[in-house]
Amino acid sequence: MIEIKQLSKKFAVENPKKLSEQEKKDPRLKGRFFHSVQDVSFSCQKGEVLGLLGPNGAGKTTTLRMLSTALKPDGGSVEIAGENVLAQPVIARKKIGFLSGTTGLYGRLTGRENIHYFGQLHGMSEELIAQRIAELADLLDMHTFLDRRSENFSTGMKQKIAIARAVVHSPELVILDEPTTGLDIMATQTVLNFIRRLKAQGTPVIFSTHHLDEVEELCEKVTVIDQGKTMFDGDIDAFKSLADGSLHQSFMAAIQTTASE
Amino acid sequence: MWLVFFKELKELLRDRKTLFFMIALPLLIFPVIFGIAGFVGKQAIDKAETKILNYGIIGAQYAPDIVKELQQPDKFNLINIAADDDYKSIIRNETVDFVLVIPENYSSDVLQNGQATIKLYFNDAGLNLVYRRVNEIVESQSELFQQNAFDTLGLDGNQQDALIKPIELEKVNTADTRENWGEKIGGMLPYLLFILCLQGAMFPATDIGAGEKERGTLETLLISPIDRNKIVLGKFLTISFAGTMTALITVASMAIWGLVLSQGMAIQIVADFMAQIGVLDFVLIFLMLVPVVAIFAAVLLSISIYAKSFKEAQSYMGPMMIFVIVPIMLSILPGVELKGGWAWVPITNVSLAMKELVKGTMDYYQLFAIFGSTVVIAGALFAFCVYWFNKEKVLFR
Repeated sequence: MIEIKQLSKKFAVENPKKLSEQEKKDPRLKGRFFHSVQDVSFSCQKGEVLGLLGPNGAGKTTTLRMLSTALKPDGGSVEIAGENVLAQPVIARKKIGFLSGTTGLYGRLTGRENIHYFGQLHGMSEELIAQRIAELADLLDMHTFLDRRSENFSTGMKQKIAIARAVVHSPELVILDEPTTGLDIMATQTVLNFIRRLKAQGTPVIFSTHHLDEVEELCEKVTVIDQGKTMFDGDIDAFKSLADGSLHQSFMAAIQTTASE
Repeated sequence: MWLVFFKELKELLRDRKTLFFMIALPLLIFPVIFGIAGFVGKQAIDKAETKILNYGIIGAQYAPDIVKELQQPDKFNLINIAADDDYKSIIRNETVDFVLVIPENYSSDVLQNGQATIKLYFNDAGLNLVYRRVNEIVESQSELFQQNAFDTLGLDGNQQDALIKPIELEKVNTADTRENWGEKIGGMLPYLLFILCLQGAMFPATDIGAGEKERGTLETLLISPIDRNKIVLGKFLTISFAGTMTALITVASMAIWGLVLSQGMAIQIVADFMAQIGVLDFVLIFLMLVPVVAIFAAVLLSISIYAKSFKEAQSYMGPMMIFVIVPIMLSILPGVELKGGWAWVPITNVSLAMKELVKGTMDYYQLFAIFGSTVVIAGALFAFCVYWFNKEKVLFR
């Protein structure tokens, strides 16, 4: 379904003197470039949920941004259902639904208008948009606030609208960048339920997170990234067997295998 | 593209702050400011005119006529002072408003005694009508004396005029009223229009670029299946539209309220003046504004999308005002005319052209140069904007 091979991305460093001590020690800093992502490969099939793990600054967001075509990779390939994302980003965008923990809404538009706008951007017909909104409103229980301005929404309401907006065009693949970070327990549940539903429908989901319990509950596959490289890529059972005991230890083990290399 | 435009516009119109600055401010504030200024000014003048002035007079015995004229209890009030008083200090401590010192040689027989200089001591800082009010009295006496002298000499009217002013330099203005007023009003017009445009465009520009980044909606917009060029164009049009609208609304409001407030005499002048400027010229003024607004919009959008937050965007935009004012100021300098090189200087040329159009002395061939250079610059800036919008370094800063 989605196949990512040896993805890499570097950013030009404008002023190397400004970097912190820690950043200077990072082996990814080479000359005037910071190689944020160096070699990331993984794949995700229909109906699978892939958890993307890694410490802060590992390159998770950069990787997901490349998948969602917001950033252009310097090397490697991304293929969604055989379609080369890099060559035809506009087509790929229609197949992807993207949501991140920091995504906002247009505060002066109502919830419905927010969703409607993105439906229009995706080239959907008015009827189809109305139908999808009705469907999603039932599904996410949004009827009570759908026609109010979104600037006064609670975090949970905002997240629901944001989810609806991300999947209004019925994407073939959903990418979530730390979707639960900063949310309260209720809103987190909304997101997790939403992932479950996608899974049940057979839509593949790739999401990055710091919560290992979410991974254990939802994911078939796990990919661990550290310093811009894939450290582990396999199914959840293989991940668990990396260490005896908790997933936390497995995670540490996955990172250390590379650190010791 | 229109999708983005209409959505941005809808959002803009729902923002009370924007609406306030775009519409309410020019519609209401200007008349209120004019009204208050006019009212306060009139009050002050009325007060100065009707105020009873305390005065002291030295040498009253030489000029009984003036003393008599000053005996109007509703206008002047005599305070007795001594000749050796310090006039400055008694005026400062408000014992008197003015002191009149009449010289010994004051006489109705000017042929005999020559010119008399009456000294009027008063505090002339600030608004006061002391000089005018005293002068009225002195002037009438002066004319009387003059007439007496002429009669004594037996001069006829013609000789009298010649004696008062042997040579008269008469000014014959070949400029018609339109050109005359156009020079004054036309010089101010670009100032007003450009600055209003910029002002009106600034807020939406911040909101549409940096605001989108700050709220975290930019990323989602970027990965929706619409060309970046169209996003840029939609946003660009919104900013231009807002800028133009602000300028138009303000100018219209000022024109309407100006007409309302300046009733009577003035209305005739304004109406005549307006009637002389053809519809074509009005349309051209408006058209001229379009590429200029496009320049503003492109620059503002580039700045806005580069900035990480509202605050950053606003601090970058601040100095823009100076960059706009300088070329307009150039157009008002003497000697700067819509010819040769100046026709190619952006913004300056448009200001000059606006002035010429209002004056009615436009050389229409220069329009090519003006439109040409402005469109080229606007186009280049817009292209830069599109390029800028495709740079990851700018978008994900």
